Amino acid sequence: MYRSKLLSLVFVIVLIVTSLLGCQQKAPSPAAQDQKNITIVIPEDPPSFNPIITDTGYDALVMELVLLGLSDIDPQGNIFPELAAELPTVENGGVLYDESAGTMSVTWKMRQDVQWSDGTPVTADDVIFTYNAIVNPETGGWIPGIDYIDSIDKIDDHTFTINYNAIYPAYLTQFGGEQVAIWPAHYCDATQGFASWDCARKPLSDGPFVLSEWVSGDHMTFTRNEKYFEKGKPALDKITINIVPDQTVRKTMLINGDADLDMWTTEPIIADLKGNSNIEVNPSPTNRFVMRIFFNLAAKGTTDPVATPHPILSDVRVRQAIRAAIDVDTISKEFFLGYAQPDWTEFFRPPYTCANIPRPKFDLAAASALLDEAGWKDTDGDGVRECRGCKTAKEGYVMEMEFITYSEFGEPLELTQQFIAEQLGKLGMKLKLTVVEGSVLWAASTDGGIEQNGNFDMDIWDDGYSGVDPTAFIESYYSTAAATPDAGYNFMRWTNPDFENLLSSTYTLDEQLRKDAFCKMAAILDKELPELQLFTALNADAHSINLQNVQSSTNDVVTWNSADWVLK
Amino acid sequence: MTTYIVRRLIQTAGLLVLLSILLFALVNLAPGGPLSGQGQSRHVDPTKVELLKRQFGLDKPLPTQYLIWLIGNDWMRVDKNGDGILDSYGTRQGILRGDFGFSFRSRQPVLTEIGQRLPNTIYLTVITMLVAVLIAIPIGIISAIRQYSTFDITVTTFSFAGQAIPEFWLGLILILIFYAWLKNPFTGEPLLPPGGMTSVNSIGFDLGDRIIHLILPVLTGALGWVAWYSRFLRSSMLDVIHQDYIRTARAKGLPNWKVLYKHALRNALVPLVTLLALDLPYIFGGAIFVEILFSWPGMGRLYYQAALDRDYPILLAVLIIGASFIILSNLLADIVYAYLDPRIRFE
Repeated sequence: MYRSKLLSLVFVIVLIVTSLLGCQQKAPSPAAQDQKNITIVIPEDPPSFNPIITDTGYDALVMELVLLGLSDIDPQGNIFPELAAELPTVENGGVLYDESAGTMSVTWKMRQDVQWSDGTPVTADDVIFTYNAIVNPETGGWIPGIDYIDSIDKIDDHTFTINYNAIYPAYLTQFGGEQVAIWPAHYCDATQGFASWDCARKPLSDGPFVLSEWVSGDHMTFTRNEKYFEKGKPALDKITINIVPDQTVRKTMLINGDADLDMWTTEPIIADLKGNSNIEVNPSPTNRFVMRIFFNLAAKGTTDPVATPHPILSDVRVRQAIRAAIDVDTISKEFFLGYAQPDWTEFFRPPYTCANIPRPKFDLAAASALLDEAGWKDTDGDGVRECRGCKTAKEGYVMEMEFITYSEFGEPLELTQQFIAEQLGKLGMKLKLTVVEGSVLWAASTDGGIEQNGNFDMDIWDDGYSGVDPTAFIESYYSTAAATPDAGYNFMRWTNPDFENLLSSTYTLDEQLRKDAFCKMAAILDKELPELQLFTALNADAHSINLQNVQSSTNDVVTWNSADWVLK
Repeated sequence: MTTYIVRRLIQTAGLLVLLSILLFALVNLAPGGPLSGQGQSRHVDPTKVELLKRQFGLDKPLPTQYLIWLIGNDWMRVDKNGDGILDSYGTRQGILRGDFGFSFRSRQPVLTEIGQRLPNTIYLTVITMLVAVLIAIPIGIISAIRQYSTFDITVTTFSFAGQAIPEFWLGLILILIFYAWLKNPFTGEPLLPPGGMTSVNSIGFDLGDRIIHLILPVLTGALGWVAWYSRFLRSSMLDVIHQDYIRTARAKGLPNWKVLYKHALRNALVPLVTLLALDLPYIFGGAIFVEILFSWPGMGRLYYQAALDRDYPILLAVLIIGASFIILSNLLADIVYAYLDPRIRFE
């Protein structure tokens, strides 16, 4: 026994001594201290450097460090050229179009001073190579609007023309933004295919940094790209990305100074960090993800709102009553710690901001009156309304529904769901709460997807469009074509011919016409309320005050301007 | 014995085939799918869904998918570009020939992904279990020979606590204490790192750096095992020291330590060894909470991520390899048992 005691004592001493030694060895050498090195912490490995394939956001984060597109979008929504020498427009002759034939061609002129990290210049061949790789039906990928492109013609090494078979207003960011990069034709192996080529894990760089090491699940290191085209940039020598799955640990590392930037910091963590003078948060000026309630206009388990209308929700007055009964300010204050911004329309982001839609009032009395008027009354005094003269259900039908949300978002959303159910409960609407995984909620109908099969009454979750053009997003949620299961995400199964006409009128290059059309669409959505927008959550990345020029952006990931970052 | 082992191996193969069918069906039929919502996109465009289904081989009926997963598709023509016409032969070889496919998430071969994570998990779990056993054995012995002593009661209390404390809570508290609060008096840096296997800036193999990164995850992971093994050994030791042959040994006038270590412990260890062998699959599966908290790039995190993403090839590979480990360690437990206890004979 003495021996075991002695052994444990020796063990403990060895541990302490080695740990102290280990810490001493970790102290950086004087040369390393002159280096401008920072550490970013994220919860999971990026799948690759190609966000088109999996779109986790972490792939975009690393892509923005090493790869450029033709253009990108700043936090205010302004599009700026990256590989392009200038943005082609109708005014500068870069865009030719034929409105009657519905065709257009866009001629891009590229910068001539950009080269890959191996010294090869970036040329039009790389753009054409990237396009061909994407459209390969066997090994390719998919990007919005790709089907509108008929061909790309090379004019010279730094000029090419994209020929469209439609008027495609979002052409400026089609090969740019946070999703699409131009890939090196001489380096990527086309036979491996766009979706799985090795160069998406060991990329060459034409961006500010070069990948130097990737230890799966542990860390990635990036060093300054000496061949980066903007002279004097980047200001940082090295960026390390540490994979730290637990958000409390990431927060502690930020406080301890072992991390300089935490991507997509959540509201509770931002609130915790508020008193810390070493940490700063520059939230995006606008937000992307809108928390919203989806109303199933068809009866639960069906997908045709005409043949089988929803007994409760098919009456617009019921939907309006729900809108009036939800206290968004309290949700923002209580569950999102004051960081949620109220929102009530799809069109709230510049440049398509519609001021014609007034913010709905939180008014329980009005909500109650609307339900009374719709023929839903609590006549038996059990606190739940029944159909008494309603148009959409049998007499006596109880106002009881299922209210679903998804689990990955976490506690704030589940508390919001409970709070809304409580508020609507006071109004005499009984909601049964369900929380499921996103992959179950949103799966295809053949995979048992709850929404595609119409197996819901009301859902609450968040979505929003990437980039600055809402057309494709609006089309996928509100168009008639998207109302068929698996053809889109119009789970509400809502259709409106006027809306449909307005939607097709947005395929124009006349910006004023587009803005007018979008605001008319906003008015229709506000009146018919197939979906109810509530608020946007914060888009922010907490960072050390020593790391300057970090600006979170809804239009891109935080590394969009990493070339400009400066370490004090 | 050889006949027994051969027979058991044949049974194992049959069992694995049945298991593979069951697991394949379970994973594929579970609600949700890999094509719904990827990361930031809540949905995947229908055109992209069609393309992905083809690339992932999800466009075929489930039995065909199973067959391809098992034996590959390099013997059949497949429609690779979605035009409805069968093109060239497939490239999959099937798990029977060691091809577990590619991850839907990273498009990397499954075995590459597992190969990157498995050594890390083995490294952590083997050390955790070794530490657990090294601590548990003396505790178990002392608790047994000094039954109801202050030591025994204290250790019993701590054991129950050790089994009751959730790993994620304990790990977080340890990080707060050793990373956030306590500082190294010499350098002023946190006493222990918050996670990872090594310091990112460490060059080459640095034993000190390795050890300081192991302390917290091993402590967190080992506590539960220590409690479990020491309780087990205590009761098994108690059984043994009240046996007649121990009394005989003492009557022969053997010194106490010899009675305990040579006669009692060897017999008391037999059930513990079985238990250890049965716990071996943990070495493959990893400990999800410890890996998540301490940013340890192991199998647990790979599996967890794959489950969230419905990354079928990774899920299936981990499950089937894990199942094989469990079955083989059961076999191993039986064999070791026979070796340790000469009375046991397998016919």
